[in-house]
Amino acid sequence: MNFSFEVIWHNLPYLLAAARWTLLISLGGMAISLVWGIFLCAGRISRGSVIRSLARLYISFFRGVPLLVQLLMFYYMLPYVGLDLPAIAAAILAVGMCSAAYTAEILRGALQTIPAGQTEAAQALGIPTLSLWRRILVPQAIRIGLPSLVNELILLVKVSSLASVVGIGELTRISQNITGETYRPLEIFIAAAVIYFLINLVISGLGRLAEKRLEVG
Amino acid sequence: MGDNLTDQPIIQVRNMSKYFDEFEALRDVTLDVHRSEVLCLIGPSGSGKSTLLRCLNFLEAYDGGEVLLEGELIGWKSAGASPRKALSGEALRRQRQHIGMVFQQFNLWPHLTALENVAEALIHVKGLGKKQAHEKARAALAKVNLSDKEKNYPANLSGGQQQRVAIARAIAMEPSVMLFDEPTSALDPELVGEVLSVMKEMANEGMTMVVVTHEMGFAAHVADRVAFLDSGRLVTCVPPAEIFGQVPEDPRVRAFLQTYRERNVV
Amino acid sequence: MELDLFIRYGPALLSGFGVTILCWLVGSIGGLVLGFLLACLYRFGPKALGWLIYIYVEIIRGTPFMIQLFILYYGGPYVGLVLSPMQAGILSFIIYGSPYFSEIFRSGFNAIPKGQIEAARCVGLSERRILMRIILPQMLVPTTAPLTNFFIILTKETAILSVVTVPELLYETQTMAAETFTFVEPFLVLSLFYWVLVIGTSWVGERVEARVTRHLRRV
Repeated sequence: MNFSFEVIWHNLPYLLAAARWTLLISLGGMAISLVWGIFLCAGRISRGSVIRSLARLYISFFRGVPLLVQLLMFYYMLPYVGLDLPAIAAAILAVGMCSAAYTAEILRGALQTIPAGQTEAAQALGIPTLSLWRRILVPQAIRIGLPSLVNELILLVKVSSLASVVGIGELTRISQNITGETYRPLEIFIAAAVIYFLINLVISGLGRLAEKRLEVG
Repeated sequence: MGDNLTDQPIIQVRNMSKYFDEFEALRDVTLDVHRSEVLCLIGPSGSGKSTLLRCLNFLEAYDGGEVLLEGELIGWKSAGASPRKALSGEALRRQRQHIGMVFQQFNLWPHLTALENVAEALIHVKGLGKKQAHEKARAALAKVNLSDKEKNYPANLSGGQQQRVAIARAIAMEPSVMLFDEPTSALDPELVGEVLSVMKEMANEGMTMVVVTHEMGFAAHVADRVAFLDSGRLVTCVPPAEIFGQVPEDPRVRAFLQTYRERNVV
Repeated sequence: MELDLFIRYGPALLSGFGVTILCWLVGSIGGLVLGFLLACLYRFGPKALGWLIYIYVEIIRGTPFMIQLFILYYGGPYVGLVLSPMQAGILSFIIYGSPYFSEIFRSGFNAIPKGQIEAARCVGLSERRILMRIILPQMLVPTTAPLTNFFIILTKETAILSVVTVPELLYETQTMAAETFTFVEPFLVLSLFYWVLVIGTSWVGERVEARVTRHLRRV
């Protein structure tokens, strides 16, 4: 059996259509991961011991339980508490909430390099805590942690394939389907890998660009 | 000072120039520093005094001219070649061991204690044993009156104390010259004194020092000579009395000192 | 839940857990070391090498682990590289992890003020000594948490090794499930084992972090 570009060419429209779901889950997941990750990070280093413990518990749960299990929980268990989410929403939520645990830790690590004097200076100026985080701490933490954050976002794109278990026709699922019809796994999976690779290349390219823009000194 | 002049100067700067891209930071600077001399570099900000200082130990690579330390060309393999080739890392390290430097922002290593900051180079550059290095480091810390702080990390020292540790770190290496880059500019006014008095003591003991400073009192009372820079050029280099004791001839020096007089600093 | 199942399959599960830990530890520590070398070469090496490393990072990081494993295990023999499943698994694990580790370390380099390095040069410390004594210890301040993250992520990636028949935890669990027609018990045990690994890793990460950040605490 020779490698056939024709098979790829013929199925490319289906793969690209599926990649749209992959993109949607990834982008939605990223948005949740970053925003919720910032709040989690703040909770993790908060002075209030209850909030701190809750944040720790959250991180330990979402890093400890396999994402597949989390996804099934979001999809099958939320309806019991009256929250009946469509599959795509459950997938985005699960991926984002899980990734946020990792993002929070990356930001927390980066924050440790920011001298305490900066926070003190802001407090001395009477800058409210919210602006302190928004204007001073978060931008610096993102700058320092950027390569690690890009790591996390790329991992997020890869795990979006798990959404296939709740029936979403994303890239991996559709590749499997096409393989089932064409019996050409090599061509189809290489094509899928290239599409994942291109998505990730764009993400890391944007990351490098942001790194250059944010560089100081 | 007359005797010193007959010796070979410890540092000789000959027609040195330095560019940052198109910008000419230093032009044709020629200057000697003699043994046991205290030379203060003053001038408006942006005049090139810090750049000049950083060229002396090749933290900045100067472009034209020469810097000689006890007759040895600093940084470059030879002054004649074009383009010039920088010395190997090893050779440059050997040269720098003889030139101590103290920075405006202290630049202590925050993850090491005061003692470890001072002992680091003694162990890993001079090759001393740990015990011997710590002994020497303690002696250096005693010199800057910080014997009781050796176990502190920099985060738990005041700015003045941090700067004194930085001085101890440099003098422990027993350099033949000490460079100071605005050593008190980052300090609270009440902490400036403790650093200056340590520097004064070093001067009295015969240390050769080149000091970039805004402390005109220090320049007037401790320096043997004061060099004034403006727009990358050495305007004058004379005993302090000729600058502070009378009205200077050069209008640029006059204008510069006027801003200090207005604030009653001198 | 049938307890005698666990008595029967306990040894196999434990051995699977052992293999998982072995592959994970060797693979991720190998990846950590390789990643550190890559980050150093990228930072201090010649520019052309930097480009090669950049391409390596993007390709390995951008493609799925399973495909890399397949290429190494099934494609290796075509170029004379015949590896046992375990060897292929560990080697591909090292390769897969290295770009992530390299990027984490690269972010650490960005956090060290330039003046500290100048000060080190002024007292004549060698570049290697500066790297190991001045840069690395401080680099660990912002990077310990992301490193812990990635060690945790890698615990779960070990499951993929089962596809080339490495007898690790998932492989043993699937065997148990297939032979006993049970589903809940084996996978409960599986989750428990991973959970233990994740908790252990977080604990070690926190200890390391406390050690590398102790100079930041004000007394």
